[in-house]
Amino acid sequence: MVGAALELRGIAKHYGGARALDGVDFDARAGEIHALCGENGAGKSTLARIAAGALAATAGTVARNGAVGLVHQHFELVRRLRVWENVVLGCEPRRGPRLDREAARARVRDLGTRYGLAVDPDSVVETLPVAIAQRVEIVRELAREPAILILDEPTAVLAPQEIDALFAILRRLARDGAAIVVVTHKLAEVAAHADRVTVLRAGRVVATSPMALMSTDAIARAMVGGELPAVAARAQHAIPPLFDACDVCTRDGTLGPVSFAVGAGEIVAIAGVEGNGQSQLIDALAGTIATTGTMRLGDRNLTAGDPAERIALGIRTIAQDREREGLVLPWTIAENIALGDHARAPLRRGFFVDVRARATLAATIVSDFDVRTPSPRAPVAALSGGNQQKLVVGRALAHEPKLVLAYQPTRGIDIGASALVRSRLIEARNAGVGIVLVSFELDEIFSLADVVLVIFRGRFVGRFTRADFDRDRIGALMTGAA
Amino acid sequence: MSGIATRAKVAFVPLALIVIAALAMLLAGANPIVAFAALLRGGLGGPHQIGETLVQTTALLFPALAVALALRAGLFNIGAEGQLVIGGLAAGALGAAYVGPGYLAIPLVLGAGALGGGAWGALAGLIKARFGGSEVIATLMLNVIAGLLANYLAVGIFAAPGGEGAETASLPPAAWLPVLLPGTRLSVAILLALALAVVMRVGLARTVFGYALRATGSAPEAAARAGIDVHRIAFVTLTLSGAIAGLGGATIVAGVLHRFNTALSPGYGFIAIAVALVGALDPLKICVAAFAFGLLQSGSLAMQSLAHVPKDLVTIVEGLAIVALAARRYAA
Repeated sequence: MVGAALELRGIAKHYGGARALDGVDFDARAGEIHALCGENGAGKSTLARIAAGALAATAGTVARNGAVGLVHQHFELVRRLRVWENVVLGCEPRRGPRLDREAARARVRDLGTRYGLAVDPDSVVETLPVAIAQRVEIVRELAREPAILILDEPTAVLAPQEIDALFAILRRLARDGAAIVVVTHKLAEVAAHADRVTVLRAGRVVATSPMALMSTDAIARAMVGGELPAVAARAQHAIPPLFDACDVCTRDGTLGPVSFAVGAGEIVAIAGVEGNGQSQLIDALAGTIATTGTMRLGDRNLTAGDPAERIALGIRTIAQDREREGLVLPWTIAENIALGDHARAPLRRGFFVDVRARATLAATIVSDFDVRTPSPRAPVAALSGGNQQKLVVGRALAHEPKLVLAYQPTRGIDIGASALVRSRLIEARNAGVGIVLVSFELDEIFSLADVVLVIFRGRFVGRFTRADFDRDRIGALMTGAA
Repeated sequence: MSGIATRAKVAFVPLALIVIAALAMLLAGANPIVAFAALLRGGLGGPHQIGETLVQTTALLFPALAVALALRAGLFNIGAEGQLVIGGLAAGALGAAYVGPGYLAIPLVLGAGALGGGAWGALAGLIKARFGGSEVIATLMLNVIAGLLANYLAVGIFAAPGGEGAETASLPPAAWLPVLLPGTRLSVAILLALALAVVMRVGLARTVFGYALRATGSAPEAAARAGIDVHRIAFVTLTLSGAIAGLGGATIVAGVLHRFNTALSPGYGFIAIAVALVGALDPLKICVAAFAFGLLQSGSLAMQSLAHVPKDLVTIVEGLAIVALAARRYAA
């Protein structure tokens, strides 16, 4: 009989007055891969942690038919320790009073061969690529022989081939009788690999069904709670030259030399696994770090390390870390809107800030980008992440920019807000703005980009135009396998 | 939500300090009610007492505005004391030797004070902006240098001829700030300080420089990405901060002592840190806080003689205010 390995009934979790989860029923059966889907803030991670016993529910019951292993979204490994030390941490094999190192190493190798999770037990974790570090985390959980394995957003940092490899391993574990729960918001993976799917929205289960009976469209609609917003259409147009970079390197050696061009009305997407020089590339283009090589906008040579000059010339950045690099959290929306353009007309009048012009601009962005705020005078810290992001994107596009540097412009925001942001980027492109897009989701890249540059260890290793996008080939290049 | 909570906590601090002070008085064997009454009478009991309280208020207000300006830019200037002393020294040295037309005496003496303090602040700004040094360490060390330098010069080349103490000769009467309240030492310096508070508030809220300064203080990374030269802001802010403290020193010289004396400050630059924090770094609230601390300063002597509570208790309360507010500020 296929019984429930994990069964949660009527789970509620309240934080103060906020209800993260409300009356959630969820079960996972031995032998299946069960996808748990939902938008950011729907309560997926909270439910996963309650299921694993890492968090206590406010109400409801949890029945576990065996041990539960939880693989965290942000790995919880001791980075300075070796692989075997991480794996046995907390359940160390002993010989008398001493740690039995050989037994520990053997355990790691044994798990590796049994599940196809080859890792060198003597590597130090911090030297490993992310995909291997994740493998270590999975091995560590498997060492505790769980009947249920929960993985929280396991594919966020993986290249396409690595994602396929991961699901192959999960399938093998399921065949051996484990119940696998994968928390994710990537629908393509769900469709390709899950047996069943449960969708959470605003802390409640809105759908649970065998995968065969539910299309990805239906899952997306359930996640959003309505029809999917349409993304703006791409105009066909000529693309005059706008920006070019030649032999750009950063001092720390993490980027370059790279050479590329961005045309007016062209979206150039940078595809790559996170940590291959993307953030340095954006910093170099924004002028916030020192670089060698030349960059030109139009016929103007850009001074290295001078962000003010680039802003004055119409280069705008959608920063990687919106809370630290993009916004002044204690400030109002209007004050934040001026950041970067505060020293120029129309937001400046002599020595003074033109408060009225600023308020007008803020009102325009708030309505164009549907920024929801409790009050116009509220600090932006009080806005949700999605609304903060809309604000940052709105500001970057507000002053007729020439070149926009967008680092993960839809990170951590819900489907509706993502569609809005993508539409605005395409509209800016259609209006002749050049855009450099860094994204870790190939679906987003394929929907937006005119040109894809693949980055690996700080260099471009492939260039594709829209006519010849090739997911497999790009994925292979991302992992340096070409 | 957090705004209201923060406000409640800020209001709580003065109340807690009063309670702690009362407990300390009990420990010292005094009746807190008698002591507080003596403190109030000493600070507000008559025109002379009120004048003296406002003299202390003024002396605290300049350095408190200086500290607040720097803190709004994210810089902890604990060197207002040294900047005030150097400003006072420059004002005293220039004033004692002044021979020009009378109507220029006051502007030049005050200007010398602002320049002296500004130069002292600029040194810290240079260390911070050019070499990446900590402004806390730089201003702290410059305090020591300022004190020793002032001592050396005031008993040396700037010393009053035939004088015995570490002080300059008296300023010519043309350089004295007009008295505001006859029969007291209160000069127009307090009007200058209040005007400065208003200018600073408007400047921070409404000017482009104030905007860039606040951005640098609240979110340095975002400011740098927005093209704001955060190093330049640090240098200019510490220079301005020093100039304000130095101006304060000059007003003590030109308005109260009529000469520079190495004992011109009983630590105004340090107490000013507490004043700025109690005033929540808002120039107008700082005016109120400076009055409260000025009252403590001037009333404490009366408390000592009438209620037999050592006036050092005031220092303890001021110290506690700094600890409490600093802990709250850096707790989150």
